[in-house]
Amino acid sequence: MKLLVEISPHSKANYDIPYIMRQVIIALIPAITASIIIFKIRAVIVLASCIISAAVTEEVTLRIRKKPSAIKDSSAILTGILLALVLPPSLPWWAASLGAIFAVLVGKQLFGGLGQNIFNPALLGRAFLMAAYPVMLTSWTQPFTLSAVTSATPLSLWKFSHIITNTKSLFLGNVSGSLGETSAIAIIIGGLYLIIRKIADWRAPLGMFISIASISTIAYSLNPANASPLFHLFAGGAMLGMFFMVTDPVTTPVTKSGRLIFGLCVGALVMTIRFFAGLPEGVMYSILFFNAFVPLINKLTKPKSFGR
Amino acid sequence: MIFLKDNKKPQKNSYTQKAPLPKTAVVPLSQHIGRPAKPIVEKNSLVEENQIIAKADGLISSNIHSPVKGKVKDIKEFNHPILKHSPAVIIETDTKQEAYSSETAAKDPSQVLSLPSEKLIEAIRQAGIVGMGGATFPTAVKLTPPKKIDTLIVNGAECEPFLTCDFRIMIEHTESIIRGIEIITKILQPERVIIAVEENKKEAIKRFNSKLHTKKYSLPKAEVIVLASAYPQGAEKQLIYNTLKRKTPAGKLPFEVGAVVQNVGTCFAIYQALYLNKPLTERVVTFAGDALTEPKNLLVKTGTLVSELFSQGILEFKKGPAKVIFGGPMMGIAVPSLDFPILKGTSGVLFFTQSAIDPAPEQTCIRCGRCVDVCPMNLLPLMFAKHGKTQDKEALKDYFIEDCIECGSCAYACPAKIPLVNYIKLGKELIRKK
Repeated sequence: MKLLVEISPHSKANYDIPYIMRQVIIALIPAITASIIIFKIRAVIVLASCIISAAVTEEVTLRIRKKPSAIKDSSAILTGILLALVLPPSLPWWAASLGAIFAVLVGKQLFGGLGQNIFNPALLGRAFLMAAYPVMLTSWTQPFTLSAVTSATPLSLWKFSHIITNTKSLFLGNVSGSLGETSAIAIIIGGLYLIIRKIADWRAPLGMFISIASISTIAYSLNPANASPLFHLFAGGAMLGMFFMVTDPVTTPVTKSGRLIFGLCVGALVMTIRFFAGLPEGVMYSILFFNAFVPLINKLTKPKSFGR
Repeated sequence: MIFLKDNKKPQKNSYTQKAPLPKTAVVPLSQHIGRPAKPIVEKNSLVEENQIIAKADGLISSNIHSPVKGKVKDIKEFNHPILKHSPAVIIETDTKQEAYSSETAAKDPSQVLSLPSEKLIEAIRQAGIVGMGGATFPTAVKLTPPKKIDTLIVNGAECEPFLTCDFRIMIEHTESIIRGIEIITKILQPERVIIAVEENKKEAIKRFNSKLHTKKYSLPKAEVIVLASAYPQGAEKQLIYNTLKRKTPAGKLPFEVGAVVQNVGTCFAIYQALYLNKPLTERVVTFAGDALTEPKNLLVKTGTLVSELFSQGILEFKKGPAKVIFGGPMMGIAVPSLDFPILKGTSGVLFFTQSAIDPAPEQTCIRCGRCVDVCPMNLLPLMFAKHGKTQDKEALKDYFIEDCIECGSCAYACPAKIPLVNYIKLGKELIRKK
């Protein structure tokens, strides 16, 4: 009789990293579907380019690094999807691919692969494209049409033309914007799924919500031209960031209070950028900025152990 | 706290059976926390059942009695589930001994409770009683706290999956347990008694409540507190916090916050010592797991080798086991063979087939913080893996590795299957070595 001797516990939870990644992908299905309904073939092209390029880049770099294939863990596919969702639908396929290659190669593999990166890879991919092709990244198409007529996002309209898009359009997604950022309801459905199934922790999203809601409430009460809290929550990347970016385990704090603080900081910076900076939107920069502070936040929020 | 599938169902309702006497009893001299007992018998000594065979060596130690009538064959190193090896008294059972000695009539409560508390403590010390929840701290020491305590907590949580030995004694010996509690309250004079039971043991809760309702016991204010069935509900500091909302300071004992915790099994052993003059030489043990044809709760003589329970036919394999665990699945110890003796602190032995164990390879930490979320001690377990790998003693201490109770919740919850408890044990050893 040969018996296995190992250290306790002898029972493990029935989920693993690939399961968690797949759950996040499932939670993104409403947002993906909404993007395809709203932007049709353009959304499909951007999504396909990002997913394929991300997966291929991951496999090739792992082979070069002589590491086992990681396609099973779906994390590169997830990065591809998240990147696609923050890109404009009119982006050419090659630019989308380039962004995905950058996201996986520089954003993830150069740091040492899964679990090692400091910055959110999808957002880093977008930041790269923003620097390389600023015009492409700021041209927006109208929803529900394949016409080439450009239009402005609700945040641009608000900031530069003082036109406030109605909340219902923002909620449903009948506006211009990135693939996955237009329909708030689609993101909320997926996001709540993640939180209810405990795939993602609620603290960072709550923090981000508190900051955006409270700052915009104050601003709105001072001057209605600052747009309502619902506008600020539903417009731009706030929802996607709240449910799918600040919940990324790798690039956010591990301590409970740290996660809340991280969310609060990101939300506050988003509102600062929207109100005071030259850009109409700042979710991407806010998250990337505070990604860099994660080790510090972890250190400052190290909990006292029970009984100390 | 985590919510585990309790896996108690099949064995929960199986009435405790007496296991056959071992043909050879292997009685380790270390069945408690502290110094091993000093043997007072020699090779070829004839011993009676319940005769003292080894004496406590100092205060933190415990007497050991012979579980059987027979002849000492040897005193030598033998397998030990916790220490791997420990000197043990090996006794060949007298073939003429009846299955189990007939029980003497229990004394009257007035007879026992009229004894002064020093006498009671001495009787408990003599009987070799140790904490039977698994920690095996000598009970007599625990009953003489240096500070007055106000609450006695009786631990009937039994939060480890599979184990049902405490549940069985709670429903089969409710009265005796309460008589044991009475003795403890006589010694400690608390203002309040809490019997803490998890909500999945409804029958036990009911029985305690109906017994307490009769008010025939001389107890201070006593009540059953029903706890959520969550792990590690039965861990001492968590139990005190969840019943009294008192936080035992790190590195300190429960008396510092005015509480003493005693396992239900210990209360039962105290009853047996005082009412039946029986030292601790047998206990109820749960045998379960998918490798067995039928899970059972057995009254087993300490020193019985697990292998004997199979050779004598009381337990039977359905399929060959791939892993055998002394204790529960969360904190139990895997043993390399069946030739390991049941100890005073053995609550269960689990037998799992290959299909029930799933050795997943360790993956990279994705810093998801699930270990942080479940840690009952509010620690950052991922840091123990990170700094354990680099043997960074200062960092390990800085993250309070010494406060870890090794409950295994973090390793259970880890999606990367990182053996965190392993890193923690190694880390603690590193610090101990200095």
